[in-house]
Amino acid sequence: MPRRPDFSAVGHSQPRLDGTDKVTGRSLFTDDVVLPGMLCGRVLRCPLPRARLLNIDTSRAEALPGVKAVVTAQDAAGIWLGINQPLLSPEILNHVGQEVAAVAATDEDTAREALKLIRVDYEPLPELKDMKAALAPGAPLLHAKAKGNIAWEQADDHGDPDAAFAAAHHVRTDHYVTNPTHNCYAEFHVAVADFTRSDKLTVWTPTQSALLFQKSLAAGFKLPDSGVRIMCLNSGGGFTGRTATRPHHFLAALLSRKSGRPVKIRATGDEEFIMCRAGGRVEYRFRSGVDRDGRLKVVDADLLFDTGGYVESQMIVILLTSSYLDALYPVEATRYRGRLVHTNNLPYYFHHGGGLAQFQFAFGQHVNSLALDLGMDPVDFHLLNAVEKGHTTLRGTHYASCGLKECIRKTARQAGWKQKRRRKEPLKGIGIGIGAMASGAKGLFKHDTSAAFIKVGDDGKATLFVGLPDMGQSSHTAMAIIAAEVLGIAPTDITVASGDTDLDPLDVGAFTQRGTFNTGNAVKNASLDARKQIAKTAAAELGVRPSQLKFSHGQITVKNQPDKVMPFAKAVFNTLHSQEGRFVMGRGFYNSPLESGSMAYSFGAQIAEVSVDPDTGVVTVEKVTAAHDVGRAINPRIVEGQIDGQIFSGMSQALFEECVMDDGQVLNPSRLDYKMPRAWEMPEVEHIIVESVDPHGPFGAKEVGEGPIVCTMQAIANAVADAIGEPVTEMPIAPWRVLKILGRRKDVA
Amino acid sequence: MSRQIINLTVNGDRHEIAVAPNQTLLEVLRDELGLSGTKRGCTSGACGVCTVQQEDGRAVLSCLALAVEWDGRAVTTIEGIAEPGQLHPVQAAFLEYGAVQCGFCTPGLIMTAKALLDTDPTPDEAAINEAMAGAICRCTGHIKVKIAIREAVQQALREREPDAAPT
Repeated sequence: MPRRPDFSAVGHSQPRLDGTDKVTGRSLFTDDVVLPGMLCGRVLRCPLPRARLLNIDTSRAEALPGVKAVVTAQDAAGIWLGINQPLLSPEILNHVGQEVAAVAATDEDTAREALKLIRVDYEPLPELKDMKAALAPGAPLLHAKAKGNIAWEQADDHGDPDAAFAAAHHVRTDHYVTNPTHNCYAEFHVAVADFTRSDKLTVWTPTQSALLFQKSLAAGFKLPDSGVRIMCLNSGGGFTGRTATRPHHFLAALLSRKSGRPVKIRATGDEEFIMCRAGGRVEYRFRSGVDRDGRLKVVDADLLFDTGGYVESQMIVILLTSSYLDALYPVEATRYRGRLVHTNNLPYYFHHGGGLAQFQFAFGQHVNSLALDLGMDPVDFHLLNAVEKGHTTLRGTHYASCGLKECIRKTARQAGWKQKRRRKEPLKGIGIGIGAMASGAKGLFKHDTSAAFIKVGDDGKATLFVGLPDMGQSSHTAMAIIAAEVLGIAPTDITVASGDTDLDPLDVGAFTQRGTFNTGNAVKNASLDARKQIAKTAAAELGVRPSQLKFSHGQITVKNQPDKVMPFAKAVFNTLHSQEGRFVMGRGFYNSPLESGSMAYSFGAQIAEVSVDPDTGVVTVEKVTAAHDVGRAINPRIVEGQIDGQIFSGMSQALFEECVMDDGQVLNPSRLDYKMPRAWEMPEVEHIIVESVDPHGPFGAKEVGEGPIVCTMQAIANAVADAIGEPVTEMPIAPWRVLKILGRRKDVA
Repeated sequence: MSRQIINLTVNGDRHEIAVAPNQTLLEVLRDELGLSGTKRGCTSGACGVCTVQQEDGRAVLSCLALAVEWDGRAVTTIEGIAEPGQLHPVQAAFLEYGAVQCGFCTPGLIMTAKALLDTDPTPDEAAINEAMAGAICRCTGHIKVKIAIREAVQQALREREPDAAPT
């Protein structure tokens, strides 16, 4: 790690500030919210992949003692999710589990009983089982506006791809598939809504963006944004699964309004797999060309995304993946086509990695195969091709900091790449994956603002107000460290207040890895504002100019005059307890100056070592060596924890995770049947933190929330290909897929 | 459904509670006694967030335990493993070694780990892996959880025999 400047808080590992509450079970989550008179809400769901709703009779349910409200399509008229999904459709239903009605009752048993008493007549309609059926000529159209069942399409060229292909020395084409998944955060989807006042809806829920939830619910119920209060106590994980409202948020509110009582809706086990809506199936076709020296010149990608029965915000995945073709290599030209295809599967959103990690499973393997075609060591190929500091991509993204080559070199050296590739053992493999990840991406709104307030009490302790949710990534502690560094106090002197849109400053939210960068800069600005106010007092008392002051270790000192010193707390005390009575309150915000896109990218490289059991096809990941350029590690142990979690999640998706679908139904909707790694399956993990110190990041920091996971899946896939002599082109790399290859490759085993 | 009175001791406190025949121990702890530290997850025994300890120290998934079967028995929850204002060594190790992220599964992980150490104070890697196999933590990927458990074991050894513990 590079030599650290003289920081007192940044770069020092700090246990999370809310950690004591979390280890003692005192942290409250949404399911812990119990309000007076609160009812239990439950949802009636469509059992068919596509159907016409002929008739619905709720009279018997309404008559059941204890039932306080029943809502159907007529209660939900005018409420839409995303582009084309009515909250409760009055006529056509487009996926298994689609919401048909909801009830609120005094207890769960009564609510469950009431659902059974609702009589619904459905007329089954011909379904679109998969993208092939949806794109077939003459296929029924799910939505009139989606011609050919294409919900969204983007196609663009940068540079001249045709000329670049014509000039290429070698061109390779590959096809890959990634399958539907579930986010599998620990806390299931849950919402408590209190809509007993017609002008104010309060919703307690885990979220990655209180702002987006507020705007979505306000639009749905035709309230001003201030008429919706989002309360996020704690979120039990996010993994890109809590970026948008889901039907249950609206249904809880509708039931609350109708019953005049607060209502909680909590997903049951298998229901969670319907409510979650993580990533759908994606089919990738890559065609790339290299020159005689092995330089990557042109990339052409054609991607088909199964978006299920409806489309909400999945077009974002198209924007993200299209911007990734030239993110890692300085190519001359790219061609991209991405299409969202309607089927009668679940409306899919994103899984951990936001579509990019899954994309990199495919693209990383494609590039690996290209290198091997040329007889090149993949590490040498990456080192020859990888982007560097100062590079501007075809799409205009400028890298003001870039430690990609350092990550590749360090991870290869640490893992013993060259030696291990030379000493090839049968059924053992080693593979590399490299990645980049935007630290925030402007484009959702005209702004990409995060704001922060800080108040400093006359005891010298501060309260920091942020609207950025902490889903577990310890962003609140990182924010406290940044404020502490500016004010020269300890992170433990700072209380972070967050999770209530009535009180929090605005923040677009915790997605596109914008927290550390955007909110971190906002917190730094707010803290500088507070420091300025305190410095005025201290400078007057010490008889120097404010610019001569240094804030550290709870003291304010004068540079080069070590005898002139005053305690931080005393300076704050004197600021308030004076004729002017000035209370120290700092405010700040950060908004990327760009029109769209990102100011900074993190970079990384991971090397995975695997072994394959020839009898079962089971892949064991033995070791992952991970090097990540995070700009600056604000809280190093937490940075490691982020890398660990993403290696878990990347390995889990690479090898295990799949919602097995049949006729629009998830066949494995439980955590027993939906496989994730257990403690004993985790590899040894070695972390290498590279600090390229970004000029725009707070203290040089960039994101670490998804940079690691984009490397993991491809590294494991490339290692498996190395072990069995052929890539497994479909994710997950399930044993049967491995055995299929081993069956025809007797040479390997 | 008619309720039945059970006597249940939770963290040393005796409670007389009327429970429905289909009510689980988890529901009694959370919904009747307000002990929300024990989390409600999959409610089907697959995720481990609801883990509590029974009398002999072994771990129990409270979502799978019927409350009526716990008449006359005792259970320890996350609220009862340390003196007020103190942390149990496993809690302290989780906090110190970064084994806590979102915190939703944390009480269940800590109770699972504590149950292991109460029945086997010096577990090897395989024993830790086996004990933790029923708990899933996507945030930490188990890595720092295992480090924290190993550190808690070392800490206990150092306290018992200050000179003998390997470092």
